[in-house]
Amino acid sequence: MTIQLIRDISDSSAYWGAAWVFGCFPDLHVVCDAPIGCYNLLGMAVTDYTDALPHMANLTPTSIREEDVINGTAQALVRTINDLRTLGALEGKRLVVVSTAESEMISADHGRLVKQLDPEANFFWSQSLDQDEWMGRERALAFAWEHYGQPYVQPNTPPRSPRLVNIIGPSLGCFNAPADLHEVRRLIEGVGGEINLVYPYESSLAATPQLADAAVSVVLYQEFGADLARTIGRPQLFAPFGVFGTTSFLRELGSLLGTPPAQVEAFIAHEKRTTLQPVWDLWRGPQSDWFATVDCAIVAGRSYVEGLQQFLGTELGMKVAWSSGRPRRDDEPDNIEIRRRLHAKAPAFVFGSINEKIYLAESGARASHYIPATFPGPVVRRTTGTPFMGYAGAANIMQEIVNRFYDMVFNFLPVEQVRPPAGPPGHGGPPPPPVATPAPSAETMPWSEAATTRLNLAIEQVPFLARISASRSLRQAAEQLARNRKLEAVSLEVVEEAISQGS
Amino acid sequence: MADMIPLTPAANEKSQDDFKGGACKLHPQTMCPAFGALRVLARLEGAQPAMITDAGCLYGLTFVTHFYAARKSIVAPILGTAELSSGKLQEAALAAIAEAAKEQNVSVIPVISLCVAETAGLAEELLPSEVDGKPVVLVRVPAYAIHSHPEAKDIALAAVMRRFTEPTVEQEAGALTLLGEVFPADPLMLDAVLRKMGGRVMTTLPGRHVDELRLAGRAKAVAALHPFYRETVGLLRERGVPVISGAPVGAEGSAAWLRAIGAALELDEERVEQVAQAEEALARGFLASQPLKGATIMVSGYEGNEMLYARLLIEGGAHVPYISTSIGPNMLTAADEAWLKNHGTEAVIYRKAIEDDKAAMDRWSFDLVIGTTTLAAHAKELGIPSVYYTNMLSVRPLFLAGGMIASLSFVRELMNRKPLYERMVDFFTEPTA
Repeated sequence: MTIQLIRDISDSSAYWGAAWVFGCFPDLHVVCDAPIGCYNLLGMAVTDYTDALPHMANLTPTSIREEDVINGTAQALVRTINDLRTLGALEGKRLVVVSTAESEMISADHGRLVKQLDPEANFFWSQSLDQDEWMGRERALAFAWEHYGQPYVQPNTPPRSPRLVNIIGPSLGCFNAPADLHEVRRLIEGVGGEINLVYPYESSLAATPQLADAAVSVVLYQEFGADLARTIGRPQLFAPFGVFGTTSFLRELGSLLGTPPAQVEAFIAHEKRTTLQPVWDLWRGPQSDWFATVDCAIVAGRSYVEGLQQFLGTELGMKVAWSSGRPRRDDEPDNIEIRRRLHAKAPAFVFGSINEKIYLAESGARASHYIPATFPGPVVRRTTGTPFMGYAGAANIMQEIVNRFYDMVFNFLPVEQVRPPAGPPGHGGPPPPPVATPAPSAETMPWSEAATTRLNLAIEQVPFLARISASRSLRQAAEQLARNRKLEAVSLEVVEEAISQGS
Repeated sequence: MADMIPLTPAANEKSQDDFKGGACKLHPQTMCPAFGALRVLARLEGAQPAMITDAGCLYGLTFVTHFYAARKSIVAPILGTAELSSGKLQEAALAAIAEAAKEQNVSVIPVISLCVAETAGLAEELLPSEVDGKPVVLVRVPAYAIHSHPEAKDIALAAVMRRFTEPTVEQEAGALTLLGEVFPADPLMLDAVLRKMGGRVMTTLPGRHVDELRLAGRAKAVAALHPFYRETVGLLRERGVPVISGAPVGAEGSAAWLRAIGAALELDEERVEQVAQAEEALARGFLASQPLKGATIMVSGYEGNEMLYARLLIEGGAHVPYISTSIGPNMLTAADEAWLKNHGTEAVIYRKAIEDDKAAMDRWSFDLVIGTTTLAAHAKELGIPSVYYTNMLSVRPLFLAGGMIASLSFVRELMNRKPLYERMVDFFTEPTA
């Protein structure tokens, strides 16, 4: 067995995934068999940055200590559950005990103990040492259905109404879930659907049997949720991306719901004049011309990767240089390779996590724009205004990218300076006086062929819009160096030096 | 400061019996202890941490480390059941160290061994002490054995100090090392005052570079400004460096601290006395207005420095009946705790849980809560002005008269914001139709 390395891990473990699913249910209390660190990082620190929640109110640790590592965690678990009862924290609530990497490490399997303590409670062996957050979420959804849903549903019960639709998937730690959910809900209702359960995000554990009431399930993510939808046994669709992807989705959903095609088409037509109008306007404007001249890289959940590839690549014609989805396939770059690629040549737009943002900062890739598209990384995405999915997502992404273009123009179009003014930036007060730099000479300086080739090669590494400015400043810097050395022409060595000085 | 908000009369709350804390301690209030170590180590220039742990731990710790320790790429081996059960732990650690050593300008490779690696048993003797001339330092920080993140900071700092501090260097007369993560302007203010006494600040630990660790060993004395650096302090004491505990807070505290520093650095007594008295006079001038008179304030933090903060508040006129912290009691907190108990503080809770803090909220009525994130959220839900402890402490100077004036003025302003907190809670807790 060879040891594999991870750089800046992108996916968390099954314990996290499961707790992020179970944590959505207001009528469930989760006890994690964990040292204080696993509790704090998930329940207090990270979820505050992914979901903007002050803390997870229904999560309690057994607080594994050194003696528990030696003797087992049973005593700690009994004490924790007793204390929760004393505080009244379990009143009217179900209880699930979840294992963590550390408790699995010492084989603390409490399946039987949990049943003894509370016959209604359940133990979830999270397999955190071996499974990632996506598997953890999938298994937590299956567990909820198996224990709290299916037993209360008559086999072969038909849907309660042919118009009812489940939305499965949105849970804690899902990037941008509120905005995407809002858009998908709007689309479903737009073609005559009625929302049954938003599971687990807006559901209670007790409502789980009602999943069977729906006629159709819309699965928000490809990363997880499809297994539950399959088990429920209703037709399922994945949430859509892009103008054309969303249109197909609406027609398909409409037909599954038995909505008259005319009604579906009327909704689409209305959307074209409203939600999608900016896409049409920007497409007809000069802004869309830029899309053909830039490239992007996408690091995100599987749904976002495929959705952005389809919208930006197939529908708008932007070059997708490379991508890497979560969970990652073997043919996609891991973070070691992503870092290498971003250091070597950063695309104009990089959708990603804080990891990609760090790699761009490491290589000083100032001409690239980072756009948050996945966790890890602290970012508040709690409003309904930032979707990636659906028609509103298409409009939002297009608007976002065009605004980044404007930023790029602001930052990189040439100004009459070879070097930026000295002094600390961003401290208010009047701008510092311009630094006395020798004015670029009006005379044209000859360049050797090797020097010109090197200049072009260097410019190739710069995103399109920034090239005019980059070529100009590099040229001026090289010529100035040559003049300082009293050279007649710009040589390859001079260009190399100018590049190494960061011109 | 003209518009004083009417405050809760302190007379109502004379307690019946001693406060014991919460009925149970279910939710300990500390960041993952290991984060303390990562924060200290990742911030060293050229440090390339290798983390030896499982995926979930790695995710949480790199998340917070990237965000508020240092934006630095971090390497780890994949450790699942297969690797752990087939005795591959050592090989995995070596692979991660080798990858970390590939980076440019490496000053140190801290090998951070966490819960599962410690449970499986990572052997120090099988790790290299350096790779290609790059020092490798093992730091063991299993969360189950260390109970708070400040204490892991201490373990990490002591581990790198042991490696980089030269044992036999000559001490420089008048030079003081500061120990504690303080507001960046504080060391400058302290240095200015020390220079008036004939001394100077040599460096502040935990440093930004291993050279600062080397430098620390050359100081004539060390001031442990924060009270959890037990191992680090022990290490310096072994090397004959005198340690001064406590910090220059408030009128009494600042003068006493300056005198203690003067004595440890063997500075001219008369000059020290002059400076100490001048500082005290400046502080007393401000305190004469008693800006916090009548206010009852709760201080709940993590690192033991809440006690310093509470001393300031009390000198400013506030009643601080309850203080809680995540660290355990130790000799470095003893003097501050005694001072507080003499000045109206009824309970100092170590290794607290949110249940302790909530019990204190039931026991006393607070005009301001300076607390952990969970506690501050709870207080805001009750319409009580409150602020996250670390936000409070990390944004303004604390020491000497200057720090005291800045801190107390800010506290006064916060209490004037009470109507905002009340309006919010009224709006958001209104029953929805």
